[in-house]
Amino acid sequence: MVTKTEETELNQLEIQVENGGGGAWEYLCLVRKLKLRRSEKVLKHGSSILNDPRKRSALGPDEWTRNEQVAIAAMDCQCLDVAQKCIKVLQKKFPGSKRVGRLEALLLEAKKLWGEAEEAYSSLLEDNPLDQAIHKRRVAISKALGKPSIAIELLNKYLELFMADHDAWRELAELYLSLQMYKQAAFCYEELILSQPIVPLYHLAYADVLYTIGGIENLISARKYYAATIDLTGGKNTRALLGICLCASAIAQLSKGRNKEDKDATAAPELHSLAAAAVEKEYKQKVPAKLQLISSVLRSLKI
Amino acid sequence: MNLGFVVGVFGVLILSHAAYSTIQYRGLLKIMEEEFSRPPMNVIVELIIGLALCMWAALTFPGKFLSIHPDSDENRAVSLPDNSEFMIFNHRGRLFPPQIDMKF
Repeated sequence: MVTKTEETELNQLEIQVENGGGGAWEYLCLVRKLKLRRSEKVLKHGSSILNDPRKRSALGPDEWTRNEQVAIAAMDCQCLDVAQKCIKVLQKKFPGSKRVGRLEALLLEAKKLWGEAEEAYSSLLEDNPLDQAIHKRRVAISKALGKPSIAIELLNKYLELFMADHDAWRELAELYLSLQMYKQAAFCYEELILSQPIVPLYHLAYADVLYTIGGIENLISARKYYAATIDLTGGKNTRALLGICLCASAIAQLSKGRNKEDKDATAAPELHSLAAAAVEKEYKQKVPAKLQLISSVLRSLKI
Repeated sequence: MNLGFVVGVFGVLILSHAAYSTIQYRGLLKIMEEEFSRPPMNVIVELIIGLALCMWAALTFPGKFLSIHPDSDENRAVSLPDNSEFMIFNHRGRLFPPQIDMKF
């Protein structure tokens, strides 16, 4: 997870590196630590470091990790010759290594040779049947081929073995969402919330899915989870505040035909007005030009 | 760091001296066959000074405290890591490769 201080540090480093100041190596280390996908920048600055023989010798044993990082970034940007050269350097240094073997199979994937990539992964799996990364790459191959149902099957089998892998649960939830299987996606997010209840973004995603499924009970639960997100982030998450306003208007619409007692039980007028006030305050602080827009939207929601 | 450490050691020494005085005072009271209700005034003052010194040292010596609020800037999760283990290369960006030349 990327925290706020890390995000500001990353942005500062990025601006500094883009404008020609030093710090490319720190930027690469930070991107690798936070597991972000900034392939173009990593490729540009990483290759400038690796091209310069002085800077390359200054890296020491870190050189090989940088080679791997630049190789993957090059594959993402479709600079396959750059990736090939990096992998050759790694092969020379570490012959017969499984990690380099994985990189070669990844290169086959980037070249769109899906059959050969699948064969390479199965041969690597024979030597090491419990390698998590290779299972995940097989799922990625089915995803890239446009067969999400096969990807879901493979991912389910993987999760039966490795139930604690949060990234895999998140990926499964996204795959279900892409196929509009919202109940299954909600189940995946429930698993994530159970294992890591402190991360507010899982609560937010779960609330979004519940709001999408609709129905009065789901809307009430969604409102609860948006409130949990606000609690965990100290009110700094605008999306959760807006979620509460939207839930409020949807609940009010759905409970129009009901009796007064039911309506009183489900309505939470203080929560709604507080959330709307908080949204307006944030817009006034950060984007005063759009305050008019958001005020009119909130007014129309209350009706 | 050094000052906090020295003050801490000093505070511990004062507390042990107060303990020693109290034990001696109790011995004296046993000889005089009186009851031991509380240590003498000077020992109490010594105890309070030792407490203050030790507390000050305990707060300054360990260095920077980490934040425990879940919504402080250091702990607040702004975004989740982009699942790079499931990354696919089949996106539209592959039509615009940047111009990089590698000399090694």
